[in-house]
Amino acid sequence: MKCSLTAQEGFDLLKLSGEVDLNYSPRLREQILASLKEGHALLIDLADVSYIDSSGIASLVEGFQTAKTAKLAYGLLNVSVTAGQVLTLTRLDKIFALYDSAEQFRQQL
Amino acid sequence: MADTNDSNNSNNSPGNHSSGNGNAIEIRDLVVDYGPRRILNNLNLDIPAGKINVIMGRSGAGKSTLLRCILGLKKPTSGSIRMLGTELTTATPHEVNSLRKQMGVAFQGGALFSSMTVGENIQLALREHTNLDESTIRIMTRIKLDMVNMLPFENLMPSELSGGMTKRAALARATIMDPKLLFFDEPSSGLDPITAAELDELILLLKQGMNMTIVVVTHELESAFKIADKISIMHGGEFLVMGGPDDIRACQDPIVQSLLHRTPRESRVDTDAHLRALVNGEIEPGASGNIE
Amino acid sequence: MIKLLENLGSTVLGGIEQTGRTFNLLLIVLWEIVHSPYKFYPIVRQIYFIGARSMSLIIISGVTIGMVMGLQFYNILERFGSVNLLGAGVALGVIRELGPVITALMVVGRAGSSMCAELGIMRITEQVDALECMAISPVKFLVAPKVIAGLISVPLLTAVFNFVALFGGYFVGVVMFNVPEGSYMNGMIDAVEWDDVQLSLVKSLIFGVLVTLISCAKGFYMHLSKAGSQGAEGVSFVTTDAVVASSIAVLFSDFLIGALMQ
Repeated sequence: MKCSLTAQEGFDLLKLSGEVDLNYSPRLREQILASLKEGHALLIDLADVSYIDSSGIASLVEGFQTAKTAKLAYGLLNVSVTAGQVLTLTRLDKIFALYDSAEQFRQQL
Repeated sequence: MADTNDSNNSNNSPGNHSSGNGNAIEIRDLVVDYGPRRILNNLNLDIPAGKINVIMGRSGAGKSTLLRCILGLKKPTSGSIRMLGTELTTATPHEVNSLRKQMGVAFQGGALFSSMTVGENIQLALREHTNLDESTIRIMTRIKLDMVNMLPFENLMPSELSGGMTKRAALARATIMDPKLLFFDEPSSGLDPITAAELDELILLLKQGMNMTIVVVTHELESAFKIADKISIMHGGEFLVMGGPDDIRACQDPIVQSLLHRTPRESRVDTDAHLRALVNGEIEPGASGNIE
Repeated sequence: MIKLLENLGSTVLGGIEQTGRTFNLLLIVLWEIVHSPYKFYPIVRQIYFIGARSMSLIIISGVTIGMVMGLQFYNILERFGSVNLLGAGVALGVIRELGPVITALMVVGRAGSSMCAELGIMRITEQVDALECMAISPVKFLVAPKVIAGLISVPLLTAVFNFVALFGGYFVGVVMFNVPEGSYMNGMIDAVEWDDVQLSLVKSLIFGVLVTLISCAKGFYMHLSKAGSQGAEGVSFVTTDAVVASSIAVLFSDFLIGALMQ
């Protein structure tokens, strides 16, 4: 898994690519929580994620809860077909705020 | 970009489940003898990756023995079992453990650990094999519990669960590490039709959502035909027929037909032999009855 | 006649097989201890179960045995006019023999039988298989903590037993039969040497391992014996077996250790 964090106008964009599994999800979790700790809204781009397992999803969930408590905006961008199926299976597709573009997210802020 | 079906990928990549030719498991000439009795007789079976494979047969046909061999719980008398590219019969304990971390098993009776809560049962593998954060472990456990509709029951003990709840908890435990291979031993046995149907739906979702290779051992016809991509019917330690649900339905073999239509086999009518059996307890070898 | 010999033969062979398996289990336990990073919590839990929860039983039996020893020794010594040796007699008898042996037998009855039953039930309900299929070593997870806990708890329990037994003897001798307190206490102090305490320690360590190992082995390997196919009834068979086998092992090794450390 590769992740890169870029500061955008009013929020952080965390772009993930590759496979997010048991080995990498702790890193993902750290990145998400670190970003939220700074008080930034967070948009996570999943377009290039070829595989995400329950541990990856759990990190996303924990991030969401942390963001909610801190009243920060939090969303997922470009959920791929694979990631989408996992979200449906875990019944989380209705929980997360899903976006098709960064612009859409910025407008929500 | 990794293509999940690219057979050149290493077998450890999460998206790839096959040993190069689309099969997750390949069984060749498998023989199991218990002393003089032959339980499995030169079995050959391919279990295609990412599909739901159902193994059916009457009680005593050898299904459980076959499953135990595949799981590595029983060493076969001879033959080969190739799982995710590794030959199970000659694998080192380390290799076997590696394989086992990629599989999940839901046993017939659930086999939940009686001294732990449902939640602790589900997370055990995570605690033993990963260094994940406490919060991640907890969320993953709850995600799985939610998947099987058992979220409110995280802190119950196994003894407090009904049959259906036990099966669902066992399924949640089997899938906690998102294994590539999932095994079900009689998932619907002892369940009411509605719960059984819900479980079938879940199995279908698991295949679609996580691209798991699923092996189901069952004798429930309805479930089998609903979920299976491939059905293999066992009888007397051998495979009678293998194929998609339509192929099976079209098969003319009398044993298969009697299994499908639930007609009991014709019993031989030899009055003398029958009388002797009733009065003296003398049973002829080869008389009709379950092969045990 | 032939049938009798056959049965005898198969029983003996079965016994040898089981002994071998039990020893094999010990080797696996030792291997697991040395090999994997250890979690302390399961061991602590087992120490609580085997040790702490046996405490009241040990104290009661300790005091009682001490009192019985006091009574019987007084009876004997009085005939020879040597009641001033009462303290020495009770102390040596308890520390060298009765302390380790009775403690071990109490632990067998309390903890050994339930360990065996627990593992037996886990075996027949496929819980052991489930652990294996999760790539968790059942021996490391289930058996090793119990054996280690036995190794730690039984000597500690023995020490408690010895301690309270001496008080029991004191009560009978000094309080009931008016043996002079000084001669009881000094007799005890003079007679007991480090060798006696060492014997007690060695015995209790070995008993601790024997009791837990045999009880665990009977339950864990239940599926390899005839009882494995008998369900609940089978569990009760192996549990009874475990208690008998552990007890005999304790008594027999008691003699061996005593003879070797003579």
